[in-house]
Amino acid sequence: MTRFGQLFNLLGLFMALLEILHFPDQRLRKKATAVTEITAKIRQLAEDMLETMYDAPGVGLAANQVNVQKRLVVIDVSEDKSSPLIFINPEIINKQGEREHEEGCLSVPEAYELVTRADTVRVKALDLDGVAFELDADELLATCIQHEIDHLDGKLFVDYISNLKRQRIKKRLEKQFKQQR
Amino acid sequence: MAKPQKHTARASAARVIAEVIQKKHSLNGVLTAALTSLPDNDRSLCQQLCYGVIRWQPQLEAISQSLLTKSLRAKDADIAALLLCGIYQLRDMRVPAHAAISETVNACKTLGKPWATGLLNASLRNYQRQHDEIEAKILQQESAQYAHPDWLIQRFKQDWPEQWPAILEANNLQPPMMIRVNKQHGSRQDYLTRMAQANIDATAIEVCSEGVLLDTPCDVFQLPGFADGDASVQDGAAQLVAQLLDLKPNLRILDACAAPGGKTCHILEQFPDNQMVALDIDPRRLLQIKQNTDRLKLNAELIASDAVDVDNWWDGQLFDRILIDAPCSGTGVIRRHPDIKLLRRPDDIATLAQQQQQLLNKLWPLLKPDGVLIYTTCSALKQENEEQVASFLQYHPEAQENAISPTPAERRSFGYQRLPGDNMLDGFYYASLSHR
Repeated sequence: MTRFGQLFNLLGLFMALLEILHFPDQRLRKKATAVTEITAKIRQLAEDMLETMYDAPGVGLAANQVNVQKRLVVIDVSEDKSSPLIFINPEIINKQGEREHEEGCLSVPEAYELVTRADTVRVKALDLDGVAFELDADELLATCIQHEIDHLDGKLFVDYISNLKRQRIKKRLEKQFKQQR
Repeated sequence: MAKPQKHTARASAARVIAEVIQKKHSLNGVLTAALTSLPDNDRSLCQQLCYGVIRWQPQLEAISQSLLTKSLRAKDADIAALLLCGIYQLRDMRVPAHAAISETVNACKTLGKPWATGLLNASLRNYQRQHDEIEAKILQQESAQYAHPDWLIQRFKQDWPEQWPAILEANNLQPPMMIRVNKQHGSRQDYLTRMAQANIDATAIEVCSEGVLLDTPCDVFQLPGFADGDASVQDGAAQLVAQLLDLKPNLRILDACAAPGGKTCHILEQFPDNQMVALDIDPRRLLQIKQNTDRLKLNAELIASDAVDVDNWWDGQLFDRILIDAPCSGTGVIRRHPDIKLLRRPDDIATLAQQQQQLLNKLWPLLKPDGVLIYTTCSALKQENEEQVASFLQYHPEAQENAISPTPAERRSFGYQRLPGDNMLDGFYYASLSHR
């Protein structure tokens, strides 16, 4: 991304794809801080994150993944980009049950592992207009919400798998990164 | 979060085939596990691809080698298998060529290896372009021509100098589905009527009194009364075994290598009050027998033990009938288990023959003076069959081999051999032994 590109983004002249940080980049470990005011900049960030997520292709993206340490998450688990959701300062207020689900992450390309998380969750957040809402989620959406909120806390899905598997993934990605350079 | 990994028919088939070829795991086990994570409408294609590719693997592999300039790395066995799937679709399946190629190429991405899309696309298109040339070239290798490993072709040639091409050909056919009607629940004639009502086309198998041949295979739960034990899936060749045992009431019977219990149950269906001891060396496989006896509401004493460890399991009471359906090369049932071609090694045959000999030697003393011991295998190799029985009789002058009427298969110097595909049935060997 060029500086001009970033500048244009910030000005909101057009949407653009953002660069996604890749594990083991330490910036993914930073904790995000709450959004205190929903500015034009935040709205533009949400738009760009959605576009970046669709392009990847992904079903969820947290702001830390594009190197913005703000508590903002975008999600769309539909097949046809028809159900974008934006969560500002999300919080899980209730968890029920347990389920194993195969997860992948845009910050950890081409790795898929089983992770056990709560089966259903109730999440509380603000929308882009700053209005509070609550949502009950199950299946893929429940997994995705938990996965993205983890990102805001500097946590990745590979933290849940065995050390051996994590090291193997880390080595592979470091090697790929070197080759790209 | 990344878009969830897709389990598509082609990608899953490639993963399954790679595991069978590389890790030498059985197709049935690996495929069953893979099918559970596939959507319903992808399962049949995945199964077709797995069976088809494994059945024709020696041929498809020869084609794939002529397409690739260098072989793929061991960790890309899934891509190698996907290429076989692509070739198989172009040659043998009614998938339009453009769809076969694009879907196969797409499966690279599903497998997380987008770098392979170009390779697969180029290879499959080269195959299309040079089709005639490549097909002619591979036919020059016998293993590719007959789709069997070389060593096995040599074994068949040695044992069956005239019949071997027919055997190899029969091994490559898709097997028909056959079932056994539970005579305790009704006659075969009545069952055929029920099948007709359920729109399942089927005919009676002449040589088996309870056997039915289906025109096209179907899911077992479509069979009328399957869950209630009205019928079971079993090839006609295996159904003949119960007929050889000369069954009647009040017998004490041993089924020495019983899993999954098809013959155990068939024997009990004749006279459910007979006392049946069913052994198998593998406790997990014993569970399959239990599922079958439960479904058919039959009783057998199930013991997990190697039958040759007689001290470990035997209570000292002799048996009226002993069935040794011995562990074998499975070379008579390759059409049902095409992975046998890839999993068996040349030295396995001698090891199996030794196990078979031990079973005969250790269990023979457990037979009552007027009892009958039936030795069977689903092998088409003489070393496991007539030669095995010949050597047993040589060391046991007190034993004799009995003529069986009507003959269950072709008479050999000792016992009866059915070669794969004879009368549409599986390849099988039968011998009846008793005291002189």
